[in-house]
Amino acid sequence: MSDDARSGPPGAAPEFADLLESSEWVATPSGRGRGLPRAGEIAGAVLPALVAATIAIALWELWVRARDIKEYLVPAPTAVGRALLDDPSRFIEAGSVSLMHALGGLLIGTGAAFLLAVVMAHSRVLERALYPLAILVKVTPVVAVAPLFLIWFGFNAWPKLLVAGLITFFPMLVNAVTGLRTIDPTAYDFMRALNASKWQVFWKLRLPASLPYVLAALRISVPLSLIGAVVAEWFAADSGVGQIIVIANGDLDTPVLFAAVTMLALIGVTLTGVVAYIERRVLFWHESSSGV
Amino acid sequence: MLALDGIDLTIGDGEFVALVGPSGCGKSTLLRILAGLIEPSGGSARVHGEEPQRARRSHAIGLVTQDPGLLPWRTVEGNVALPLEVTGASADVPALLGRVGIAEFAAYHPRELSGGMRQRVALARALAHGPQLLLMDEPFGSLDEFSREEMGLELLRIWERDRVSVLFVTHSIREAVLLADRVLVMSAQPGRIVAELPITFDRPRSQELDQTSQFAELVLATRRAMGGRP
Repeated sequence: MSDDARSGPPGAAPEFADLLESSEWVATPSGRGRGLPRAGEIAGAVLPALVAATIAIALWELWVRARDIKEYLVPAPTAVGRALLDDPSRFIEAGSVSLMHALGGLLIGTGAAFLLAVVMAHSRVLERALYPLAILVKVTPVVAVAPLFLIWFGFNAWPKLLVAGLITFFPMLVNAVTGLRTIDPTAYDFMRALNASKWQVFWKLRLPASLPYVLAALRISVPLSLIGAVVAEWFAADSGVGQIIVIANGDLDTPVLFAAVTMLALIGVTLTGVVAYIERRVLFWHESSSGV
Repeated sequence: MLALDGIDLTIGDGEFVALVGPSGCGKSTLLRILAGLIEPSGGSARVHGEEPQRARRSHAIGLVTQDPGLLPWRTVEGNVALPLEVTGASADVPALLGRVGIAEFAAYHPRELSGGMRQRVALARALAHGPQLLLMDEPFGSLDEFSREEMGLELLRIWERDRVSVLFVTHSIREAVLLADRVLVMSAQPGRIVAELPITFDRPRSQELDQTSQFAELVLATRRAMGGRP
């Protein structure tokens, strides 16, 4: 029936779709396994990485000691550990502040992007009007606008939230638009033959169909939000792990610098793990969750 | 380009009409016009005395296509309940699942089912809101031959209880003759109905029917009408 008039999802602008496909921002939806992995599987997956990390840290320690490398250049892992344990509450407090900045920004940025995506997925005109603006936001280095936000909003949480939000905006926008449009044409026809409203098509078809894309966007956006939060904290230097980095950098206190970086890495890994967990729970139905 | 020309087609109440024709003759286009999914550029169509758009609004149509188009995130039961949520109609979903023979799969997701099972779900879903006209576009086209025969007879069994009107589009002449009260033959470019063959076999029908000489004659006559070699 190849020649028959098939109407796909409405308003799917091919030029936009082409742009998306060539864009590195569109992540392929993925999710591994279904439900919770068993303890044996966790051990099997995590153990090699743990062993590798332990060996790497041990080699690092040996190298620093054997070559007698200056601490302000590269501190030994033990020195970093000492810096962390010296004042753990300082790192935990700063870490939770940065975490709040990143998560708050993520919520604002991806939330706004998703709402805009809903509008753009339904209207070609609005898509054409708004997409160049979205590109503008994407290509503007967020580091360049961070000082501006500081001037506008002052020494409070807002510049951090907004910088983190800005950096997470675009990946969510393009993925969500793609996801909201990638609906099964047959399911769409079926609903239309039942005279389903746009609203019903949105809730029962578009929204669930977009989830693999939305979660893929979250996977991209989580580490980005952390970057945004820390960059904004550098400029304000009044709170968060970014502040610790700025101060330690001034003092050439490299062990503390490394400790701050370790803190950020821990936050990043935890957040990514949370997204992966949500993906596994929510996308049990998606084809990507069948294989390993 | 003219896709369809001079189509004059009436489907009686509770009648099972099969539409056969070569690929690209516009069978699906005709079906989509009747479903109210596309507007004809000229002419008119009526479904139970109403324009397709109005019939669509009064939820008179059930649609089954080759690709079942089930929602992968919903269970079998949830998929069959979809038309009820959309139209606000009510139906006994477990009973419906029982009628199409998938009661024990109510909690399964589509990806866990075979192609034939998925089509059963699609059929239950199309019938859930109590349509007056069932439009079927090669519903068993992607099934293997055995499942296809089984599903055809299964469809008859279900249909004989409800007697909704059916327009059944298919490539398969044998399938059309086995199932329908009337077979319409379409030609391609422009698509028009070139022959109409009443099929008067008694119901309920069985697969053994295709061993009879009468069946063979009807298949032959249909093939001739399509312009194929006898």
